[in-house]
Amino acid sequence: MTFSDTAQDALKNLVANPMRTALTMLGVIIGVAAVISMIGIVEGGQRKLVQSIERLGTNLLFVFNKKLTAEEQRQFAGRSTGQKYDDAFAVRRLRPDLMVAPVLQFKKPLKAGARDFSGEVTGTSPEFSEIRNFRPAQGRFILEKDIAEWRRVVVLGHDIAEKLFGSDPAIRREVKIGDERFLVVGVMEQKGSLHGTNYDELIFIPVTTAMRRFTGDDKLTYTILHVPDRGEMEAITKQVHSLLIQRHDGVDDIRIFNQGEFLIAMDRTLWTFRIVLGGVAFVALLVGGIGIMNIMLVTVTERTREIGLRKAIGATRADILRQFLVESVAISLVGGLIGIAIGIGLAYGFGDLVARAMPGAGDWGAVVQPSAIVIAFTFAVAIGISFGLYPAVKASKLDPAEALRYQ
Amino acid sequence: MHSANGLIRLDHVGKVYRNGSLEVRALNNVELRIAQGEFVALIGQSGSGKTTLLDIIGCLSRPTTGTYWLNGRSVGSLSDGDLAAIRNQQVGFIFQSFHLLPRKTALMNVELPLQYRGVAPSERHRRASEILRDVGLEDRMHHLPNQLSGGQQQRVAIARALVNRPALLLADEPTGSLDSRSGEEILHLLRRLNQGGQTILLVTHARELAEIAGRLITLRDGEIISDEQIPGGTSAEAPAPETPTLRQKDTA
Repeated sequence: MTFSDTAQDALKNLVANPMRTALTMLGVIIGVAAVISMIGIVEGGQRKLVQSIERLGTNLLFVFNKKLTAEEQRQFAGRSTGQKYDDAFAVRRLRPDLMVAPVLQFKKPLKAGARDFSGEVTGTSPEFSEIRNFRPAQGRFILEKDIAEWRRVVVLGHDIAEKLFGSDPAIRREVKIGDERFLVVGVMEQKGSLHGTNYDELIFIPVTTAMRRFTGDDKLTYTILHVPDRGEMEAITKQVHSLLIQRHDGVDDIRIFNQGEFLIAMDRTLWTFRIVLGGVAFVALLVGGIGIMNIMLVTVTERTREIGLRKAIGATRADILRQFLVESVAISLVGGLIGIAIGIGLAYGFGDLVARAMPGAGDWGAVVQPSAIVIAFTFAVAIGISFGLYPAVKASKLDPAEALRYQ
Repeated sequence: MHSANGLIRLDHVGKVYRNGSLEVRALNNVELRIAQGEFVALIGQSGSGKTTLLDIIGCLSRPTTGTYWLNGRSVGSLSDGDLAAIRNQQVGFIFQSFHLLPRKTALMNVELPLQYRGVAPSERHRRASEILRDVGLEDRMHHLPNQLSGGQQQRVAIARALVNRPALLLADEPTGSLDSRSGEEILHLLRRLNQGGQTILLVTHARELAEIAGRLITLRDGEIISDEQIPGGTSAEAPAPETPTLRQKDTA
């Protein structure tokens, strides 16, 4: 019996019971579609996140102030109060190759004419724009001379400008931050949200102005460092850390975060997603396989006499085994192909749905990679083989004399 | 090593079925020789062991005790693959219920043994059509079994049994499902085949059908109780050099 003879027989049998074949296939279709769509959706989500992080700049170190325990506060009282503006200069002196952006954040109401907005104001330096890869769409960002002269200039996030001035140009208009008057010198490009921060609602002023006019001291909220060589991230983290401890009178009250660590943490979360969703999809595929086994066992029983006859006219055990295995593999193969088509449709459909439900989030952009298709398809066929094997072996082992006269 | 004595030789063949703790002795110490070209009828009541004997001779099952020689080869030691090859090429079966595959045309049913033998499609097509013509079904080749009468179905089954030119044709109640006229035709066909040299073993419970054979073996309770030549029978003269029939008692 050649393979093509066997395959033709198998197809004829499957077509002869269209409803049964379709229902059996359904299990595999659902399983494969689930695998493809879930992998596609998670993959798309990951790409989107990585892209948005990369859009905000890579090779970054974030120097945060560490919250001290009550015990530590008592112990270190009067010795250090976290990062200061001078620390940023010290880091610049230590490593002139780094870009350093001091950041001082505070809440103040914003006013322009009759419209107002309560937002968070960010005092920073020209490097911020460079480091975060976040640039003005109109006008300019904060300049060195704004810092030196603690000018009262402000650069507005895209949404803020819109809220305060509507479609009118914001440049050269006046804004009140608290009780101080500021001149709008720039409006930032539209950037969207990441990690809960809406970049389009940020308000930038020179860091020196923030200190003089608002906080009244030289403390910083955090500092961003841009490291030109990614391989140096760790060494620089250590260097900066020890410099700051030394400057803080031996008190370790800062923490340095690596942007790469964010990515790793995010990647870990996504892997959890992948494993959970993949597990669900795999279970669906497994149930599909059990469906195949169930139907194949019924088929073997129904066709006992046929098996007996085939053996009587010369079929070997291997011939019978192959005949039934080819049938179950055909079910999983065709089911797998249909499942792939549906899965791709679902993945992209989900992307569209997200885009429509959350216009701000942008296109989810589900990504169905060839590797996912290959994996799902291989799994489907493997399930066809493994769940078809038992019924096929059972068929092949039937005693021909008994099978022939089975009623 | 015993040499073959004709086509079929059974030495002390017994068959015991085990059903849980129950042992059923279906065949007991059967001695049988069948020579090339004989037309042998095997009769007996149901439960006499005739189906068991047919299964053993057709290599569908193996004897529990004793030795079965087919064409000089002891069957007991053969592998599943060897037995399948024997069933494919040395033995042809026809059954009371025809056992045609319902979704295959007459031609495809007849091609099936050739498929299992690995014959190329064009060749098996040619041979299957030829043999269907021989049994008078040249205009029914592309019909499905349910489009054929009982007699026609049985003729397809006979064509299928003969398409690999087996040494032995085994017929298990071949007229049991047929009306008397169709049954008559099938018997006529078997007789004609035997006259052409085909060795046939016909199993039936009806003595009057058995009369067309040249030799009549009666089974009862798993033992051969009589083995007689029928003078008016149609057994072809055996081409084998030895006597065409050897009685069981003679060789004991």
